[in-house]
Amino acid sequence: MAYHLSIFVENKPGKLENITKILSEKNINIYGIYVASAGEFGVVKILTNNLEKAYQTLKQEGFTVSKRKVTIVLLPDKPGEMHKLLTILSSNNINLEDCYGFVLEAKAQAAIVLEAEKYPLIEDVLHSKGYKLLPAEKLEEL
Amino acid sequence: MYWEENIETAEASELKKLQLRLLNQTIKQAKKSPFYQNFNLNEVGSLEEFQEKVPFTRKQDLRDQFPYGFLTTDLEKSVRLHSSSGTTGNPTVVFHTKKDIQEWTNQVARCMYMIGMRKGDVFQNTMGYGLFTGGLGFHYGAEALGALTIPIGPGNSKRQIWFMETFGSSVVHILPSYALRLYSHFEELKLDPKSLKLKIFIIGSEPHSEEMRQQIEQLFGVKAYNSYGLSEVCGPGVGFECQHQCGIHIWEDYYLVEIIDPQTGKVLPDGEEGELVLTTLKREAMPLLRYRTGDLTRATSNKCACGRSHIRIDRIKGRADDMLIINGVNLFPIQIEKTIMGIPGVGKNYLIEIKKENYMDKLYIKVEVDKEIFEGTLAGLTQLQNRITEELRSEITVSPIVQLSEPGSLPVWEGKAKRVNDLRDK
Ligand SMILES: [Zn+2]
Repeated sequence: MAYHLSIFVENKPGKLENITKILSEKNINIYGIYVASAGEFGVVKILTNNLEKAYQTLKQEGFTVSKRKVTIVLLPDKPGEMHKLLTILSSNNINLEDCYGFVLEAKAQAAIVLEAEKYPLIEDVLHSKGYKLLPAEKLEEL
Repeated sequence: MYWEENIETAEASELKKLQLRLLNQTIKQAKKSPFYQNFNLNEVGSLEEFQEKVPFTRKQDLRDQFPYGFLTTDLEKSVRLHSSSGTTGNPTVVFHTKKDIQEWTNQVARCMYMIGMRKGDVFQNTMGYGLFTGGLGFHYGAEALGALTIPIGPGNSKRQIWFMETFGSSVVHILPSYALRLYSHFEELKLDPKSLKLKIFIIGSEPHSEEMRQQIEQLFGVKAYNSYGLSEVCGPGVGFECQHQCGIHIWEDYYLVEIIDPQTGKVLPDGEEGELVLTTLKREAMPLLRYRTGDLTRATSNKCACGRSHIRIDRIKGRADDMLIINGVNLFPIQIEKTIMGIPGVGKNYLIEIKKENYMDKLYIKVEVDKEIFEGTLAGLTQLQNRITEELRSEITVSPIVQLSEPGSLPVWEGKAKRVNDLRDK
């Protein structure tokens, strides 16, 4: 189990850039970003190396931000792996709110960030299929 | 309980008798002004006769008679001038004699006493001092009551909070829109307003909904009382809610209250909605007869649980000129506020925009979200957006386009909030 941040933003130019600027000024490393939009507004999901610091920083800057539980699963970086993972989730009736990924080591390992309503079921299912999950404390030292 | 028990709890019949006597004095006084000289005004035998014979006075009359047309005394007898700026044409100016100021002060003190303010309270007046009556009017009333009065005036939220904290302000006079903005400064300072000595907020000067009052009461842990006044007849203190918060008492020993149909001018019975018309009963420098306030409300003469017999009006629904017509449907901005402020997840500011698109009026409602209860999903946000849209549609029968905005992103105002932006070509 880990957490990423969810930030409410209006769909206007420069909004995302503003967030990344604030985080980079605080020396916070961003692993992945995902934007879900409903036209005029949306939410930005951000996975960082320092959840608490990122959360407090954004809150202080006046952002509407909350922490969301995610499951980070490690996959071999090769064709077909993503499909296999999603098939397992759908066959267990697990819907995803978000899903995005980042490569840890090219051609070797990727991390997929999953935000699902059915928590902790998602982690039980993945464990039972032999997947390795990335714990929150590992994020600080990737 | 009462500042002036005899008059506040007087029997209705006694009040009527007193009003008739004061009314005839006022007519006599009014006839000394260049404006009222034009009318053939005589003593009246009843309030009904007064309504039959005396025409309305309008805001436009005040503008047309700028600056001295309503003045009944020598200018030397006046000790104060207040003015409200008009967006077009002449401003309206109002003169006060020494006695007018004393009577005005008494009205405000009576209002403050009614809501539980006493000697020993610390009163922070965040309203603008100067030509605007909300500053000085309250200031004099609070001093007459014996409260320690802080004439801080508007703006500089950090300093406002510092004064509240340092001097233990217990009563604050504040614009409702500013109260909500001030709360966000408390949040920034990580200071809970409930930990201060705040007890009573006096809110007024802009129309606001019951929902907004409740939000202010909950955020600050205070009782918030609605204040009513207008500078043409003196300023604040014309009327106030009592501790039962069931309508605004208008002091009938100072004003004659009528509710009229704004179209026909016909006097309406108790309980019917129309335009508030006031006649001043004690003003010396500038009495006004049957002055059309432009404010829409209803009145009831039923005795209040607080024991006061003075007439009560509903919170002001809006000014007749605030009414919006969207594709032929009439609505008031306050209806929109009432609806959205009652929905959890809605923040502290909103903006109404009306545009013309393809020959149709489009109503845009921009609503700030509440960052405290943002749980982080897009689905949650679209649900909120849909709920606001649906509830507005059923309240105003116009389908709005609801846009969610980031907290703090909508414009804020130094003075009264200007929440309606009509971008249609006039
Ligand atoms: Zn009452």
